[in-house]
Amino acid sequence: MDNFDENDIGTLLRLKKFEQPPPGYFENFLHEFHRRQRDELLRQPVWSVLWQRFADSLSRLNIPSLTSYPAAVAAALVCAAVVSLKVYQAPQSPEIAMSDSSELLPRISVLDQMPAERVADRFTLRSPLATRSLGPDLSRSQMNESAYTHRATPPRYVLDRLPVSYEPSFNF
Amino acid sequence: MDQPRIDEDQPLVARAQAGDAAAFDDLVVKYSPRLYGLIYNMTSNHEDTDDMLQDVFAKAYRAIKGFRGKSSFYTWIHTIAVNMTLNFLKKRGRRYHLSLDDVDASIQNDKEFIELTSTTSPVREADLGELQRRLNEAMMKLSDEHRAVVTMFHIQGMPHAEISKILGVSEGTVRSRLFYANRQLQNYLDEFRKNPVG
Repeated sequence: MDNFDENDIGTLLRLKKFEQPPPGYFENFLHEFHRRQRDELLRQPVWSVLWQRFADSLSRLNIPSLTSYPAAVAAALVCAAVVSLKVYQAPQSPEIAMSDSSELLPRISVLDQMPAERVADRFTLRSPLATRSLGPDLSRSQMNESAYTHRATPPRYVLDRLPVSYEPSFNF
Repeated sequence: MDQPRIDEDQPLVARAQAGDAAAFDDLVVKYSPRLYGLIYNMTSNHEDTDDMLQDVFAKAYRAIKGFRGKSSFYTWIHTIAVNMTLNFLKKRGRRYHLSLDDVDASIQNDKEFIELTSTTSPVREADLGELQRRLNEAMMKLSDEHRAVVTMFHIQGMPHAEISKILGVSEGTVRSRLFYANRQLQNYLDEFRKNPVG
């Protein structure tokens, strides 16, 4: 009587693949899988479902791949910090410029409201602008008054948007 | 050796990762018979196998979005199945009962079955049903790791390289476990041949 060798063992073991579950098992397996999935979902608490959806949305954004580049993340954080500092420290220059220009407009328009002959009388070649009185509308008292009005608050300076040095040197 | 050389499941996997449940269903239909055989031959119990197979696919469904394709889907799903089954067996310990000892009677007319049983004299001479029962008992005497290797190599027909990927061990370890397990099974079945009653 022969003994079992390795081939015999292999042959016997290959017979085990004929051991199968009851007929129809695999047809029902998918339905059972779906049923268990539904049951599992119903048994989960709400926070767990929400957390799972949040994790899914993060995985769609591929956040892990972004966080795998710590240098890039650190650089982005530094940039964000610098930008936010600049935003908080920026002067309110546009508002100052607008308020000053609105205050100046009525004084300039004084000349526009004067009759043409009066304007001509005031600005002739015989009487240059510098030596002539500016008249009642632009008298020193009024100028002083407006000056005092400005000095009631700390002096404010309106700067151009671009420094002078930024202007092209050959501007014809 | 019917494992895919390239990942032929990639289109289905990509659709499943995008949330297409029907694509995952196709993967379940494709792999459930094969994984059933793997788990059953490690647990030797139908009910346990049924539960385990459901759990394996549930876990795969939850994890498929994290599958990056570093291995084939075939290797990935087999790794999940083997690891879950080994964990289950550790918890279960030695408490088991064999539930599918006998070969289905209708299978005995199968051409491949007849060919297998007629080639080797010890198999031909023995009572096949009894031999199968003894073989199952011998299988359960092996350690879980050795049984996993025997199942994948002899029953599932996987090559050593694929088994080593699934188990995360070297091919040398796979060959060594296989040699040891074969020797154990041989000794047990020879014992049965000499003392059929025992």
